[in-house]
Parts: sequence; C-alpha cells; structure tokens
Amino acid sequence: MLAYRGRIAAGGVLFSTHQAGEALVPLLVGVVIDRAVAAGDPVALAGWLAVLALDFLVLSYAYRFGARQSWYAEAWADARLRRQVAGRLLDPRGGGETGRLPGELTGIAVSDAKRVAELQVALPILIAGVAAVAVTAVTLLAIDLSLGLLILLGTPPLLWVVQLVVKPLEKRSGAEQERAAQAAGTAADLVSGLRVLNGIGARPAAVRRYRDSSRQALGATLRATRAEGGFLGTVQLANGLFLAVIALVGGRAAANGDITVGQLVSAVGLAQFLIGPLQMFGFVSARLAQARASAARIAAVLSAPPAVGAPEDGVAPGGVGPDGVGPDGVAPGGAGRDGAGRDGALPDGDPAAGPGELSVRGLRLRRPAGGSGDRSERRSRVDPATLEAGDPGDGRHDGDDRSSNDGRHSTGRLGSDGVDLDVRPGAPTALVAADPEDAAALLAVLARESGPGDGRVTLDGVPLDAWPPEVARGAVLVAAHDAHLFPGSLRDNVMAGAPETADPEPAMAAAAADQVAQTLPDGHDTDVSARGRSLSGGQRQRIALARALAADAPVLVLHDPTTAVDAVTETRIAEGLAAHRAGRSTLLVTTSPALLGQAGTVTFVVDGRVHARGTHAELMADDTYRAVVTA
Amino acid sequence: MSTHTVLLPVASGPRIRAVLGELSRPHRGSAAVAVVVLVAGAAVSLLVAPLLGEIVDRVARRQGADAVLLPVLGLAGIAVVQGLLAALGVALTARFCETLLAGLRERFVDRALHLPQARIESAGAGDLTSRVTDDVSAVSDSVREAVPELARAALMVALTLVALAVLDWRFLLAALLASPIQVWTARAFLGRSEPLYTAQRIAGGAQQQHLLDTAAGLSTVRALRLHDRHATGIAERAAEVARLAVAVVRLHTQLFARLNLAEFIGLAAVLVTGFWLVGSGATTIGTASAAALYFVNLFTPINVVLFQLDAAQTALAGLRRLVGVADLRRPPEPDEPATVRGARVRVRGLTHHYVEGHPVLTDVDLDVAPGERVALVGASGAGKSTLAGIVAGVHAAGSGTVEIGDARLDDLDADGRRRAVTLVTQESHVFAGPLAGDLRLARPDASDDELLAALDRVGAGGWARALPDGLETVVGDGGHRLPVVAAQQLALARVVLTDPRVLVLDEATAEAGSAGARALEESAEAALAGRSGLVVAHRLTQAAAADRVVVLDAGRVVEEGPHDDLVAAGDRYARLWEAWTGARGGEPAPSPRS
Repeated sequence: MLAYRGRIAAGGVLFSTHQAGEALVPLLVGVVIDRAVAAGDPVALAGWLAVLALDFLVLSYAYRFGARQSWYAEAWADARLRRQVAGRLLDPRGGGETGRLPGELTGIAVSDAKRVAELQVALPILIAGVAAVAVTAVTLLAIDLSLGLLILLGTPPLLWVVQLVVKPLEKRSGAEQERAAQAAGTAADLVSGLRVLNGIGARPAAVRRYRDSSRQALGATLRATRAEGGFLGTVQLANGLFLAVIALVGGRAAANGDITVGQLVSAVGLAQFLIGPLQMFGFVSARLAQARASAARIAAVLSAPPAVGAPEDGVAPGGVGPDGVGPDGVAPGGAGRDGAGRDGALPDGDPAAGPGELSVRGLRLRRPAGGSGDRSERRSRVDPATLEAGDPGDGRHDGDDRSSNDGRHSTGRLGSDGVDLDVRPGAPTALVAADPEDAAALLAVLARESGPGDGRVTLDGVPLDAWPPEVARGAVLVAAHDAHLFPGSLRDNVMAGAPETADPEPAMAAAAADQVAQTLPDGHDTDVSARGRSLSGGQRQRIALARALAADAPVLVLHDPTTAVDAVTETRIAEGLAAHRAGRSTLLVTTSPALLGQAGTVTFVVDGRVHARGTHAELMADDTYRAVVTA
Repeated sequence: MSTHTVLLPVASGPRIRAVLGELSRPHRGSAAVAVVVLVAGAAVSLLVAPLLGEIVDRVARRQGADAVLLPVLGLAGIAVVQGLLAALGVALTARFCETLLAGLRERFVDRALHLPQARIESAGAGDLTSRVTDDVSAVSDSVREAVPELARAALMVALTLVALAVLDWRFLLAALLASPIQVWTARAFLGRSEPLYTAQRIAGGAQQQHLLDTAAGLSTVRALRLHDRHATGIAERAAEVARLAVAVVRLHTQLFARLNLAEFIGLAAVLVTGFWLVGSGATTIGTASAAALYFVNLFTPINVVLFQLDAAQTALAGLRRLVGVADLRRPPEPDEPATVRGARVRVRGLTHHYVEGHPVLTDVDLDVAPGERVALVGASGAGKSTLAGIVAGVHAAGSGTVEIGDARLDDLDADGRRRAVTLVTQESHVFAGPLAGDLRLARPDASDDELLAALDRVGAGGWARALPDGLETVVGDGGHRLPVVAAQQLALARVVLTDPRVLVLDEATAEAGSAGARALEESAEAALAGRSGLVVAHRLTQAAAADRVVVLDAGRVVEEGPHDDLVAAGDRYARLWEAWTGARGGEPAPSPRS
C-alpha cells in the first residue's frame, strides 16, 4: 500500500477539489440570488454565472482526473495482488493451498484482492470527505457563527441516530442475504444434480424443496424490507426535522438582519450537502475494516510455509559420487535462498537425463505419529540409520551410518515397517496396496509433495530430494488417478507436459484417448473446459493418461489410471501402455488385474509393509492378493 | 454422443411482459397501493422547496422573526409525513417486487428441473447453471436495489419538473434546456456500457474459472510442472480484467463530465429566468430561490436514474434468459397413466441415435426376468449407457418399445416411473443440506428410522451415525464433504428408499477408484436385492457375478448368456475375460465367486 502513497495523495487532492466545487454550487446560487436577482444587477448576474461556470469546470475536471487516477490504481493493484496470490499457490514447493478449498483460494485471489485494492479509491475519497467537511464548516461559520455551529454540531448526532437505526437493519439484512443465498444455492445444487434426480424420479420432490426454500427466503426478505422501510423513514424524518430547525434559526437570523437572504439559501444548501461526506465516513470505515481482514487472509496465503522442503530449505545432501553413494552431510538450516548449485551441495546435471532407475528403501508409509502422508512434513530428512537391513541387494547405501537428528523414528518400529521398491527401465513394475492410504503416502513422496521421512528414495543413485521439487518432478512424473484437466482443447491438455514438437498421437492411442477425440464434436480441438462436465469420468481419465504418457518422463508413476474405464477399453489401454513405455521406467500403483497382468514384478503392500513380491500370476495364489485385485 | 450446442431459449420483450403480467396478476391491488404511496411521498417532499421559498419571501418582506415559524412548522409536518410514507412505500414496493420475483424464480426452477436431459446436454452444462446462479442473482439484485431506486428517482425527477411548472412554466422551460444533453448522454452511455459490462462479466468469469481450475488442480500443475503456463494465464486474465475496469472508469468519467455540463446549463438558465421574472415583477425572490433549489436537488436523482437504468439494463439480459426457461411448457404426462405390475424388463426393436445417420443402438432386444441380474458389457461407445438410460426412462427411445412389468414406459406418469425403475450412474451428487434432506428427495415422507435403515442396508449406517450431527449434518457443497464412496452409498440408499422394481446401475461403482470399489460392490448388491437388475459393468467381476451377461458392440447385442457359458464358448467375451484378468501363461483365470 505504501508504494501507492503518492497516487493516493494526488487522488485525495483532486477529489477534495471536486467536493469543494460541489459545495460551492449552492453557495454560488445564494450569491446569485443576493447580488444579481435581488439587486436586479445584470452585470453581477453575468459575472457570477461566469464564476459558477468556472466552478463547474473545475469540479468536473477534478473529478475526472481524480477518478481516473484512483480507479486505474485500484485496477492495477487488484491485478497485482491476484498475480501474487497465484504466484504463491503455484510455487513448486506447494503449501499455499494447505487447509483451504479451491473455492476459498479463488475467493482470496479475487474478492480479497479486490477489497484491498479498493483502498486506492476509498482513501482518496476519505481525504476528500475531510476536506469537504472542512470547507463547509469554514463557509458556514463565516456566514453566521450560531447557524454554522448548529449545523456542524447537529449533523454528527443526526448521523449517529441514523447509525443506531442501521445496526439492527444490517443484522436483519445479513440474515436475509443468507437465506436468499441459500435458496439460490439450493437451485444451483438441484440443477447440478439433475441427472441424479432424473435417475431416481425425484424431480417433483426437488421442485417442492426449492419452493419451500424460496418461500423462506421471501419471508426473510420481506421482514428485512420492513426494517429497511423503517430505516429510510427515520432518515427522512430526521433530515426533515433538522432542516426545519435550520430554517427556523436561519430564518430568524435573516429576519433580524444578521444574515442576508442569499446567505440563508446558501446555509440551507450547505446543510444538505454536508450529509453526503459525513455518511461517506461510515462507508469508508466499513471498507477499511473489510480491507484489513482481506489483507490478513492474503498475507496468510503468501506467508504459508512450503509443504515440502526444497534442498535449500535446510537439508542438502551432498557428495554424491558416481556410484551414487548417498548423503554425507546435513547442511545447517537455511543454507541460502537459491541454493541450487551452491557449496557443491547439490547434484549437477539434469535428473531427467539419466536412465531412470528409481529405488525406494525403508520408506515408512505410516508415520509413527500424526498419521500417514503427513503433508506438513517440512524437512526432507535423509537418514540412513533406519534403512531397512534386508535391502534386496544393490548395496548402494552402506556405510553411511549417521544418527538421526531428532530421534523421531525411535517411536516407530525400526527396520520392519518400511517399504523397498525398485523401478527400472523395462517392463512396468507394479505396486498393489491393500490400504489405499499406503498407496497415497508412497505417491506423495514420489511426487515430492512430502518428504521421505526416515526412508530414502533415489533416482539413478541420487536422493530425489536433493533436487528442487520441480526438477525432481521433471524426472519422476506421478500421474494421480483424479488428475485435473485444464481449460483448453483436448490436444492442449494432452500436450501440457510434453515437448512442443512431440506428436500426441502415440500417447493418445496408447491411452485409448483417440476414441474420446473421435466422439467429440471438434475432435482434438474440442474445448475440454466448456464440455468438461459432460465428459464422462472414463473420458477424462483417458485424456489425463494420454497427457502423462505424452510427457515422456524417465520415470512414470501411474495411480489407478483406468478405474473409470470399461473392461474392454481397459485391456486395450493395459497393452497400449506397456508397449508405449517399453524400455522406460514405469510404476503402476493399481489393483486392476488387466494392468497388473502387464507388469513384470508386482509388490504387494499390506499394513505399510511388503507382504509379497512376484508376478501377477504368481501372486494370484495368495488369497489376500486375489481378494484385493478381484474385488 | 454429442451434438452441437443449442442454447436454451431467450425470451422476447412481449413474452417477458406476458409472463410477468401473469405472475403479478394476483398482486395487482398491492401494486396499486404501493404506487399511490410512492407518488404521495414524492409529492410531499416537493413541498419543501416552496416552503423554504416562503421563508425567504417572509424575510424579504420584513415580516419579522416570528413570521418564519409557520412555514417552519410546515417543514416539520412534511418531515413526519415523508418519513411515514417512505417507510410504507419501501415495504409495499418490496412486497410486490419480491413476491413477483419469488414466483418467477420458482417457475424458472420448476421448468428447469423438468427439462429433458437431452435438452440440457445439447445446451451445454454451463448454460442452465449460469442462468440458475448468475441470472437469478442479477435479477434479484436489480429488483432489490435498482428497481426501487429507479422508481423513486424517476418519480422525483418527474414531480420536480411538475413543481417547477407550478412555480412558473418558464422555470420548467429553462430547466428543460439541460435535457437534450442529458438524453443524448444517456443514450450514448447506455449503448456503450452494456457491451463493456458483458465483456467485464465474461473476463471476470474467465479469471475466476482459471483460478478455480488452477487451485483445484494444483497437484496436477506441480506434477506436470505447469507453473509458468498457469501463472502467465492468470496474469493475462487479470490484465484483461484490469483493462476493462479502466475502460469502464473512462466511460463513467465521460458521463459525469457531460452531466456536469447539463447541470450548469440548466442551473444558469433557471437563475437567468429567475432574474428576468423577478425583474419584471412576475415572481418573487423566494420563488426564484425555490426554483433554483429545486433544480440543484435534481442533480442526484438524475444521476441515480442513469446509473440504475444502467443496472436495470444488465438485469434485463438476465431476465430474458430466466423467462426464456420459465416460459417453457412442462413435458406432457399421459392422460391415463398405466400402473406397473411385475418387475420384468422387456426391450424390443430398440433403435436410437443422437445424430441422424449415426445410430447408437440398432434393433436391440433385451429381457430381464423378475429378480434377474443382467450385466451389460462392451467398449465405450458400444451404447451401454444409452441403453441403460432408455430402460430407466431418462432418455426417450428413438424407436422400439420398453416395458417394465406389463406397462410400456411411455404410458407411465412421473410417479409411476419413479416406482418402476431407478438409474444410478457413476456421477454422484450429494445434495447440499442436511443428510436427511438428501435422502428424503427419494421418499419425502420417510421417517428418520426409515432413513437410517436404508443407510444401514447399503453399509452406510456407520459413517452416517458418526457424522457430527447424524442425519442432520449438513453435507454437500458448503457442508461436510463426503468421500466418493460415501456419496455413492448415499445414492444407493436413495434407491432403497425409492424401492423401485427395477434398478439400473451404470458403472455406479466406477468413480470410487480401486480403493472403495469393494465396499461399493457390497452396497450395490444390497440395493439390488429383491429387484430386477441391469448392471453396466466396468469391472468384469461384476459381469461374472451376474445371472446373465449381454455383450454390446457398436450398438448391437453380439453375445448373450451366463458368464461360465460365455467363457466356455471361447468367443469375444472369453477373450476379454482372459485379457482383463491379466492371466498369462496358462495360469487359470481366477474364479470371482471364490
């Protein structure tokens, strides 16, 4: 806000000039009556009309420049705040959205930004209001001391009385708005559930429900408008009586020759004028309070801690040798803002350039405290002390024994409840989790949405959390089963993560998304956002899968990519997927037998531990496994 | 499946008048009273200026200080009457307008909820939604604020002009010198503002949607590293919104400049007229003062009229869209509705297309015996969902017949169809409000015990009782968010409450993902118990568990029979089964019934 001080001051001066000009109009009318009409002086008439014209000219231009200055500033401040909120939300380290629903975040970026930006206008108006009151006061006091004091001292209590009347009204109208919003919400909700209503034949019941809701809203509205009527009536009454008092005092003063007739006219006009700026004070102070609350909400988002530590956030595993031996140093906290490449603490090169061998060791899917997949886990710790002893054998991380820094792991069962997993180029690897929470926890770590805790996840021998999250994600793409499609054409969506020159067709064919394109009116160019809701779950899922395949990441992790797809298409996808990813690293986290049949090794996780490992066909002999995948 | 977008109708001016006239007919009396009170209120307020003029005159005539008392008492009296009339006028106007508005929105929602599904789909999902949200609120706001303000201000302007004429007709002429500028300004302004506001609304909506899409898909944005693209997109949207806001301010300041000019011309003319009339002895100084005060007091109402016309113009566009839907006729019901006896399903010679020349279903025959469970299997686009929708009476059949029990589906009224057949699809929707309210959509007169029993039956009793306020917990949008599995169990509990003879499940367990599929399968089993069932299967285990499997391909039935027979037959279904179970290298296919 401080950056805009100059603009606000300039706006204030211009608005003040405008207000002063407005205040001069009734005054000049009085002068014309006195000097020209009553005196019968045509020269005075011409002269004072010229002054009136000048006044109009000044007030008009002052308003024009003031308004443009202030409202333009508001518009740009609004856009800037919105960009800042969006920028925080889009930070690769995440965390800006924690604990807030998308609608709420949108509200902060739109409504709250707007309210704060409105200060660009509210403050100059406030300045002008003060100026207007001052000018009016001086003029009135100059006309007649007692009359001026009467008006100046009488108006605030008058407004105070009005405020007293407004308070209960505001409450009432709040309740009314809530009811009306509820009725509107009911209608929107029923309409968006129309297919469901149709399916159960509940349209008549829905119509009755809406009518009830609408009638309740009407009742509340009518009660509120009765209050509003009372309020308006009181305002009229108070203003009218005050005017009568002014007329009485002023009229007597004029009759006694203390003031002229023209001054009486001016005083009455100024008294009417004064109400405007004084009412505005109430309005601006309400705006200021709102803006303060909005600014606090925006600040909360902007200052939200990241969900996952980038290496520079305190832990920078270093000394990664060619054999990929892991971490040997825990850097002191806050090694630097943009730590990438500094102190030799970060690995060189592009993780996406390697062969794409992903290795997971001793990853605990269930946190000893605080539940699994704790997203508030900030520090990505690499702590070999708890690596599982029964490492299935590449011996990559021996000898780096180091005690843990906070002893947190000691509350868990050591060495027994972690998951080991290897994903290598070749046929897809699969993981079946009996408990979906386990799958979610693993996926969060692989996606760098949360830290590996006591476990260790390496890509081509380098800990995944040695890279900034966005770099790691370029090498390991985790495609969620409920992945979001974004506004744009089907092709735009498929190509969202792909190199620009890539051909979307192979990925679309593998994901059976080519069929989706065929059924849409404009094929590849169909706007997915406009029809987003009318795409079926299966169609959306296939487009999202095609997008994940087209991104061509060295390591692709797919979570339940075919849950909403029919069996015929699913088998086609399973084959297409395996062929498309042949020779690359792919992890399928799924319970679909059609997909599992395409996998080389399947790891079966029960209660956060590896229960069995083998091919799908072998594991089908396991009752628990069979129950999970053929449910 | 999709055809090109055909938006829902937009009403013409005469239709709007007709519909509003019809809705307001019962309230005409109160409308008349409201108008009388408003006019009286405005008329009384016009007495203020002449009374002030009278005070000026008495002072000018040197009648002494006490002479001002009488007109001052008049002013006080006016204040009282004015207050009373204002209170009454606001309440009466609001009563009429709000009642009319409620009638309109209820009729709109009634018609909207009775639109055929195909009609809504061809209009695009957004059309109806934006009418029910944006347009309803635009029209409501206008009725609440713009209309009464506009009425009051317009009345004020009209009566002030009358009062000027009463003082002296020449004052009126002088004041009217300003009006050509005002009319010209208003026209130019209103012509330019509407497109600008529309652009502003669209840009604001696009910005909102972009932010919402980004916020809802943040994890996808991160996974695919789309930060920069989204940041740029949002910045572009924000810049467009700002650009339009600037354009609107420009327009408004231009408007004010011209109105200021008109104000000056009118005021100067009135003052010159006063000078001239006083000079020629045709009027008093007091009257001239009153005329000038009248005119100064016109500034605000004229601004209000212009701005509220502007707002009303925006609302009118919304009103056209509301009335367009409210003016539709409800679909006809059969004159003598049949009653359903029996629970079999018989489909004969069903052919259906969405687009001429592209049949989705061709000559389909299908039977479901009472209590039988039939699974529909086929690829996307094979016509499974269309067939399910037609059997459930949600889509009208192109040609051919559908019978439930011994009644043709077309011969049933809404209630008969509700009792005959229910469709549950993968699209789950939790209706906003108390959980009990959601369930009572299925059976409005159900007791709490019946609701709980239905929830228990589908395995949802546990979580439902564990909700903070039990059945009264507010769920859905803005309330307690139910996970997908719970939402779908809720849908199945509604089925239990509706208690239809036939239940059609269209991949009803698909959206749950693998995680909740098992729990949902059990819930679906419970909902199907005792009914004839047609199940569109996405997991073949569902097909294996059915009494009979019907395989659809390109809109035709290509295979039909019990699962084991079809597997043994070694044809299409058998190959599909083998591929789907992922059994390779001679491994025996798992038996789903073990």
